Amino acid sequence: MTAAQIILIVNRNPRNAVLLSEFLERRGCLARAVGSLEELDHVLDSGDGYSLALIDVSGFNQEIWSRCSRLRAASVPFLLISSPKHSVGTEQGLRHGATGVLTKPLAMSELANLIDTLVL
Amino acid sequence: MKITNSAVRLSTGVDGLDYILLGGLVQGGAYLVRGGPGTGKTTLGLHYLAAGIAAGQKVLFVTLGEPVEDIKKNARSINVNADDLAYLDLSPTPEFFAEVETYDIFSPAEVEREPTTARIIDAVHDVQPDRVFIDSMAQFRYLSVDIFQYRKQVLSFLRYLKGRGATVVFTSEAGPDTPDSDVQFLSDGIVNLFLNHHERNVSVSKFRGSSFVAGEHGMRLSAHGMEVLPRLEPQERTEQLQMEALPLGVVKLDQMLHGGLERGTITIISGPSGVGKTTLGLQFMKTGAARGERSIVYTFEEEVDIVIQRSEMIGIPARRMVDEGTLSLTKVRPLQFTPDEFAHLVRRDVEDRGARVVMIDSVSGYKLSLHGAGLVRRLHALCKFLQSTGVTVVLLAETQSIVGDFQATDVELSYLADNIVFLRYLEIEGELRKAVGVLKKRLSDFEKVLREFEITSNGIQVGEPMTEFRGILSGVPTSVGAAPSESAA
Repeated sequence: MTAAQIILIVNRNPRNAVLLSEFLERRGCLARAVGSLEELDHVLDSGDGYSLALIDVSGFNQEIWSRCSRLRAASVPFLLISSPKHSVGTEQGLRHGATGVLTKPLAMSELANLIDTLVL
Repeated sequence: MKITNSAVRLSTGVDGLDYILLGGLVQGGAYLVRGGPGTGKTTLGLHYLAAGIAAGQKVLFVTLGEPVEDIKKNARSINVNADDLAYLDLSPTPEFFAEVETYDIFSPAEVEREPTTARIIDAVHDVQPDRVFIDSMAQFRYLSVDIFQYRKQVLSFLRYLKGRGATVVFTSEAGPDTPDSDVQFLSDGIVNLFLNHHERNVSVSKFRGSSFVAGEHGMRLSAHGMEVLPRLEPQERTEQLQMEALPLGVVKLDQMLHGGLERGTITIISGPSGVGKTTLGLQFMKTGAARGERSIVYTFEEEVDIVIQRSEMIGIPARRMVDEGTLSLTKVRPLQFTPDEFAHLVRRDVEDRGARVVMIDSVSGYKLSLHGAGLVRRLHALCKFLQSTGVTVVLLAETQSIVGDFQATDVELSYLADNIVFLRYLEIEGELRKAVGVLKKRLSDFEKVLREFEITSNGIQVGEPMTEFRGILSGVPTSVGAAPSESAA
């Protein structure tokens, strides 16, 4: 990694966001976490560049898909994360431009490999 | 003889357990202590660490369940000084409950494991322990995503500790819902703790690099902590069995027994209640006292004072024998002991006081008063143990019927006995009289006739053979000359 990669975390659950941030920071990335659509809009409006976005769709409504389109338009790759109960189908996720769909709980080693592949 | 290797042994802090392990745990091993709740796993761990402190070693207590303060409090209640131990407290704090925020992004196993591992490594680095006790390893199961990971983690954790020169004891709660066969495979030895009804037991089911005393052993948890009572095993006879017949001191009785009861044999004196079994047994001890030998009586029924008083009235100087130290009487109260505890009491008495004769009054009292399973089998083991040390054993066995169909004693007991002497009530011409006979004698011949038996103020009187009667064993004999019709009248 040259300059530290900045990864956007979209998560309604603050504890999840903290754990993900800590995980990414341990791997030498910078993390920015947002917990609502408004915050996400703010980030998208600012035009800051992100290497990757991790979007946990739990707790968000259909409007999240329009934000996914904006990310795709800005060429920010993103991974969708869903709970096993309300699974977002891989097909649905890919249709909205996701690089991949992950189901919680995530295995740290797999996530690490995935991120390394995507951002390096 | 048991084979012990030259490996360095570490005391578990429990003498009886060290005995079972032929000296203690092998240094550098990892040992599993299994058992349900309340079986004494933590107590054993405290003894183990305290023994390390006593030996000048560095010790570490890793607790995943109980907070340190509780452990110290419990240790004080069993007189173990746990204040000097080093602790690593991985138990959840009360704040955990209030603070906790739920998360689902990663599995709890992955989130909690890293900080836990880091704390363990720090503690091991700081303490450099010779002995580690982990209570309980089962908690690590929740820090693993699956059973494969768990196994791998436990194994690498144990290797990590062993690699730093520690001898590890760890616990697991085995239950139907939480099988622990995985950690059993990973350990160098397994100590099982059981609690069945009233009885506590210990057994060793695996011990790499050493043999051990197999089977279930008694265990006691008290204000002194854990005490293990190794099962008595008959020892190899050190002295050659001498056919030395010990007389009972009643001429005609000794004549019936062709000299008396041989040293190191087991004799059952059977008969109905009140017929004189205790008196006959004490008579045997009186002659022992005259030779300067010590006897011990365990009485399950009568109070010691009453036994002494009654003996005095019939010419057996029990009081003097007690004062001289040739006789000791111990009253065993109902439910006071398990069979293993009783066996240990007897063993200690015999070894400490050098007793040569042991009398148990009575077998039914033994069965009623001790709680636990397989009582006759345990009595058998105790008798065989005593016999192997050259002690002569007298068991008093009560038969149910006063008169009527003859019954010597329980079938299992007859097998155990080398000698069976029986006492009997007879009804002769409306008068209640007593007879004595010998039913079995392994080491010599004996007189196969019955003689009249009487207890007087001068002691036991035995008469001439009762050859003028027949049907004595029925309890209602008839004169040899009498017609059968008369006997029925």
